[in-house]
Amino acid sequence: MPFLAILFFLSQDFNQRGFVQTQTTVYPQDAVNDGGNVIGETQIRYEGFFIPWAGFQLSGALDLRSDTHHQTDRTWRLDWKDRERQRALLSLRRFSAQYNHSGLTIEAGKQFVRWGRTDIVNPTDRFAPRDFMTVVDNEFLGIDAVRGTYERGTHTLDVVWAPRLTPSRTPLLHQRWFIPPPITAPLTVARKIPEGSQYGIRWSHTGEVEFAAAFYSGFNHLPSYQVDSSGTVVEETYADQRMIGGDVGVPLQLLSVKGEAAWFQSPDQKTDDYVLYVVQLERQAGEWFFVGGYGGQHVTAKGTQSADFNPDRGMTRTILARAGYTIDVNRSIAFETAIRENFDGFWSKIEFSQAFGQHWRLTSGFTAIRGKPSDFLGQYRRNSHATVTARYSF
Amino acid sequence: MSRTIPAVFFALLILSTQAVAQDPRTIVEETQKRSSAKSQAYEGTLRVVKEGSKIAEKRWSFERIGSHGDSKSILRFSAPAEVKGVALLVVNHPDRSSDQWMWAPAIGRERRIALQDRSQRFFGTDFSFEDLEERDTDQYEYRLLGEETFEGAACWKIESRPRQNKVSQYTHSHVWVRKDNYVVVQIENYKNATLVRRAKYGDIQRVQSIWTAHTIEMYDITEKSRTILTIEKLQYDLPMKDEDFTLQAFRRER
Repeated sequence: MPFLAILFFLSQDFNQRGFVQTQTTVYPQDAVNDGGNVIGETQIRYEGFFIPWAGFQLSGALDLRSDTHHQTDRTWRLDWKDRERQRALLSLRRFSAQYNHSGLTIEAGKQFVRWGRTDIVNPTDRFAPRDFMTVVDNEFLGIDAVRGTYERGTHTLDVVWAPRLTPSRTPLLHQRWFIPPPITAPLTVARKIPEGSQYGIRWSHTGEVEFAAAFYSGFNHLPSYQVDSSGTVVEETYADQRMIGGDVGVPLQLLSVKGEAAWFQSPDQKTDDYVLYVVQLERQAGEWFFVGGYGGQHVTAKGTQSADFNPDRGMTRTILARAGYTIDVNRSIAFETAIRENFDGFWSKIEFSQAFGQHWRLTSGFTAIRGKPSDFLGQYRRNSHATVTARYSF
Repeated sequence: MSRTIPAVFFALLILSTQAVAQDPRTIVEETQKRSSAKSQAYEGTLRVVKEGSKIAEKRWSFERIGSHGDSKSILRFSAPAEVKGVALLVVNHPDRSSDQWMWAPAIGRERRIALQDRSQRFFGTDFSFEDLEERDTDQYEYRLLGEETFEGAACWKIESRPRQNKVSQYTHSHVWVRKDNYVVVQIENYKNATLVRRAKYGDIQRVQSIWTAHTIEMYDITEKSRTILTIEKLQYDLPMKDEDFTLQAFRRER
């Protein structure tokens, strides 16, 4: 019988991939709350895809990671929820079952849901919390959800229900990417993650012009802060949020135009109601790839919050640009920048990457951040840094 | 009389065949007809060679439903490890340029390859995105340039120019078609008077009654770089479903 089971599994469609990565980050400047200038990180990611029979697929991914700066919890446990402040030593990045028949796909479990069309800032991407521990180098977190997608011709309907909120991971309190308020008393942060489900629906159309409309009801995965009367206790909350938005992509003769906009409303009035929009132009020319755009916002009603941590809004009233150049099949250079329209904040990143053989890639980069302390980007002006990353992919 | 009729008939038949064969459109249509299949699947290995030394190797699996202007294909990279899972969906149309989308697992979203970006090199290889779409006879005008011997085989040399509804980086192409089996053995792609890419089709074998090249060497004249695609495990007319060639199916990581 075990022999038959082995034969069964061997005969099925199983694919795997992953990487082992080490990264060194050097911060030339000291931060007021963090004396560390060098951080070493190691990460192992393993992903597997198993198709036991046609139309049914199991997907799983694990992350094992550690670092020298206590950004990662050092206790051995498997984290499913991704709700802790620190990264988990061992976390389940994805674990889902997917069934598809005809134009219908249903996926249940921990998964990634990406909405929207533009780059850098995505107002309609509501089911995509991120790890913002290093604010400008972030990555997506999986969410627990059931997702149904139905595609017919050029139309696709996407319905998502998430039983609970997975909040974005914010910078740690005593580390350089958390900018402490100007008070001398010790600060206590009381975190309140809401219980309750979220849902959303998106209809999209593909054709000469591609467009989509989306609605979301749930919570903001980015926190708001309310300071109590003593000024030392900060309540961290995740506001109720509704979103109505859409995106469009128009290919023109010389370039592609993409736009995305959304109106956010907070029923509990803990955060502002606002409109967020992005317009970007794209063009490839030879080995060059260019993206340039503008992100803007308009507040329609003020909320009761003392402060927000909202990189999406922090990147508005901003000119955004990205360029890439493929030197050859193994080497490339990438450049990204964001400049506030009033020049109060500036972020720029340049990266050189080279592959060696079939498995190795070395990437080195430098990120410069400048600006005024009152600006979202400018507040991180002491966090310019250089990185060297070595990755072995398998 | 009874002997004359067949003789005249055969003479006319030979003459008409010659006349038809001299019409470049008919030659290309015959090429297309002979290479048509309900579906196609293969595993490909790409070797990028620059200045005589191999600098990269990539592998992909390819599946196509339909043929020529009425087909859809998905190409999924399986190596090197860092691009495993990256995929390209090409939806070919009989009356206009194809639609193409790229899927990158790292960003979890598909990206449409705009028409004006099709001249871009495909993943650093010497193939451009446009080179990966299928040519349909009706999207080009043809002119017979003459007859030439190509690697020992008698060929027709045909010029093809894209019609107005076909957006192309190339102003025209020269196509060599073997006379004995109507297989395309070389395509030279031009931008105005400048030759920019040359594709050579080799190791031609008969698979399920379709003569098929098992190596395609794409030479980028400007970059002085070549990419050799070697085709393995080629099969035609496998059972495939249309629903496996949609954007939704394309997003399913494997």
